[in-house]
Amino acid sequence: MIAIGLEGSANKLGVGIISHPSPGKPAQILSNLRHTFVTPPGEGFLPKDTAKHHRSWVVQLVKQAMAEAKVMIKDVDCICYTKGPGMGAPLQSVAVAARMLALLWEKELVGVNHCVGHIEMGREITGADNPVVLYVSGGNTQVIAYAEQRYRIFGEALDIAVGNCLDRFARTLEISNDPAPGYNIEQLAKKGKVLLDLPYAVKGMDCSFAGILSSIDVLAAELKANPETKDPITGEVITTADLCFTLQETIYAMLVEITERAMAHVGSSQVLLVGGVGCNERLQEMMGLMAAGRGGSIFATDERFCIDNGIMIAHAGLRAYETGFRTPLEDSTCTQRFRTDEMFIKWRD
Amino acid sequence: MALLETIHLEHLPTTPIHISLYRNVKNAPFLQQQLLAGNTDFEYAFIDASVIVSRIHVLSAAYRAINALHSHRLRSRNVHSEIVFSLSPNNNIAESFRRFGITATTENLLVVKVGGGREEVKRHLEGAVEGEAVGGMLDVGKVRKVYKLNSGGGGGKKGLGNGVVNEEEERRELEVFVLGAMALRGASN
Amino acid sequence: MEIQAAPPAHQAPLSPSPHLLPPIFQSDTAPPQMITQGAEALLYRTTYLLPTLPCALKYRPSKPYRHPILDARLTKHRILSEARVLVKCRREGVPVPAVYAVDEREGWVMLEWVEGEVVRVKVNEWLRRRKELGVAEGVEEEVLKGLMGRIGRAIGRMHGGGGLCMGDLTTSNLMLRPKREDTVNGEGSRNAGDEVLGGEIVLIDFGLASQSSADEDRAVDLYVLERAFGSTHPRAEGLFSELLGAYGTSFKGANVVLKKLEEVRMRGRKRSMLG
Repeated sequence: MIAIGLEGSANKLGVGIISHPSPGKPAQILSNLRHTFVTPPGEGFLPKDTAKHHRSWVVQLVKQAMAEAKVMIKDVDCICYTKGPGMGAPLQSVAVAARMLALLWEKELVGVNHCVGHIEMGREITGADNPVVLYVSGGNTQVIAYAEQRYRIFGEALDIAVGNCLDRFARTLEISNDPAPGYNIEQLAKKGKVLLDLPYAVKGMDCSFAGILSSIDVLAAELKANPETKDPITGEVITTADLCFTLQETIYAMLVEITERAMAHVGSSQVLLVGGVGCNERLQEMMGLMAAGRGGSIFATDERFCIDNGIMIAHAGLRAYETGFRTPLEDSTCTQRFRTDEMFIKWRD
Repeated sequence: MALLETIHLEHLPTTPIHISLYRNVKNAPFLQQQLLAGNTDFEYAFIDASVIVSRIHVLSAAYRAINALHSHRLRSRNVHSEIVFSLSPNNNIAESFRRFGITATTENLLVVKVGGGREEVKRHLEGAVEGEAVGGMLDVGKVRKVYKLNSGGGGGKKGLGNGVVNEEEERRELEVFVLGAMALRGASN
Repeated sequence: MEIQAAPPAHQAPLSPSPHLLPPIFQSDTAPPQMITQGAEALLYRTTYLLPTLPCALKYRPSKPYRHPILDARLTKHRILSEARVLVKCRREGVPVPAVYAVDEREGWVMLEWVEGEVVRVKVNEWLRRRKELGVAEGVEEEVLKGLMGRIGRAIGRMHGGGGLCMGDLTTSNLMLRPKREDTVNGEGSRNAGDEVLGGEIVLIDFGLASQSSADEDRAVDLYVLERAFGSTHPRAEGLFSELLGAYGTSFKGANVVLKKLEEVRMRGRKRSMLG
């Protein structure tokens, strides 16, 4: 069976086409295209402008994806789209495109939970069977494990998402949003050496980032006012790179800690890293060290699948479609709030 | 002077400690003077025995001090002064000496020696301390005062589940509070 | 609310290269015996000062993934805050293990060894025995009710007297310590079940505890425990009201917490998620 997936819950518009040859065989990615709405340094993306971006690119991307996949309209079994969670206006613009395709091509619709899309794609690509999942992106921070037909949330960020914390700090520093603010923080952090004091906010399997963001913003303002500030321990001049280094070391330690706690709780030694922040090499390295200490291993994907994409929506949607799930046209809405554990996972034991 | 006890603490098998307890000590001023003068023949922890709840109490202090010695984290002059300081619930070293260490008026004295041969220690103490070697001499009131156990709720009297508290239980709880207060010393953040 | 939903499938695998204990414990001829490996602490059984005094050694090894400065800061903070909480509890008459020794630099704390078993194990044993004897549910449950009452009062003392909340209260951090022989005065037990659930409640593992008098935090403690009972001892869940009843009379303000609990139940522990 073949599905096309449309994703646009944030500033990336993704279209992907997937084929599930037969049960037990690996899925085939026929095409996976993405176009990102990039804003100037110091600016975030607004819902209105992002929706406009998606509207103006979606037709072109679908055409290109079909051509690249070398499939005909008649080969496609269903149209999958992101139902939520995400930003309202961009979600709506992509849902409209999905409905239009469904009516035009006379195909059935499948609304997909964005987080479940990430998890299913991660499992498919890495072969991780039953991992604890850390899902980290601009909008989400969740530690998830599967139990009884649901992806259950064991821990989560109690205020802003980790990616949002990074994005907003990139804005504070006015560094480039191309290709992604977090990527540029990561590159700067590689040059940092000095670890400054930041709050560390873990409570059980939950964590919070708002306090950390305001503290690092204060440190950045102090540095701007007084660029010659030296680290009291090493005597080295503190740089912007040190701020990025400190921020990464602190927040990633928190993420690894809550993940480890969930692993100990459910007795799993596998960890799967998904979501845009999951591309971060330092986070992958730290997670790998933790997993090794527990006699397990880490599974991660590259930016094609970590960052929001259409193929994951196609994949998870097709999984649901195969088990008989359909989204009738009149229910093909989208929602900004859609918890990972609300989706019934019929295709797993 | 037959009451010198030699103990190998758990996890510290290579560091024996020698303990002896005295009543009616007559030469406390002299002993204190040797410590103040830094006389190396008097490398002992001289402790005012009336604030020692139990054997476990003083052994706890020795354990902490020896651990600090081995990991190069002594806060006071040597392992013997560190034992006295380890008894303290706060970080004031001078005050810990006044409260737990020997003073000119000390009559009940507990002596702790880290390392050294048993016979050698025994012989030296026989000549050095003028007093009777004995069993125990706890002053509960004084202990409660120095460990600030009268303030707040606690102190063991407040019942433990079923409310029945006998003297033995009370002593055990007192020991627990004292060990907790000692363990937390230095916990300033 | 999902915390208890997935029962551990199997024991967490022990690390392939066991953590090296701090130097002071390495020279032991009888090395400390490992009991469990949690997410961040290892629990051993060993002795304190004398061979006759058993103790629990809780060691937080440094985490290789963490920056060394951050690692030292967190280890120190956590060792000290847990020890402080225990000392405070003990002074307020909350049944917890005594603190024997602390080394926050090396990352360990030695605590009183609590004999007995965790409540989870004991309740399951009791339920199993009754089933074997063919006793129907709802019959002769006074012993279990008694246990629930003791748990409720112990939690009440922790909340009200200690001003503390556990953070993750489950039947695995409640111990049932057998009564010492000399304090059993003539009360002959009626059947084997009485002995299984006898003894006093001791609260253990304050790794996630916080100083809090907020009704919300207290209610969440009760809620998490209620869920734990529901998922691990469904047959005992019906008697949770006994626990709440005893809790309600255990300190001033307990009834406000019980009201709050109803609120927490309604919405679940987790909020609805933002996109």
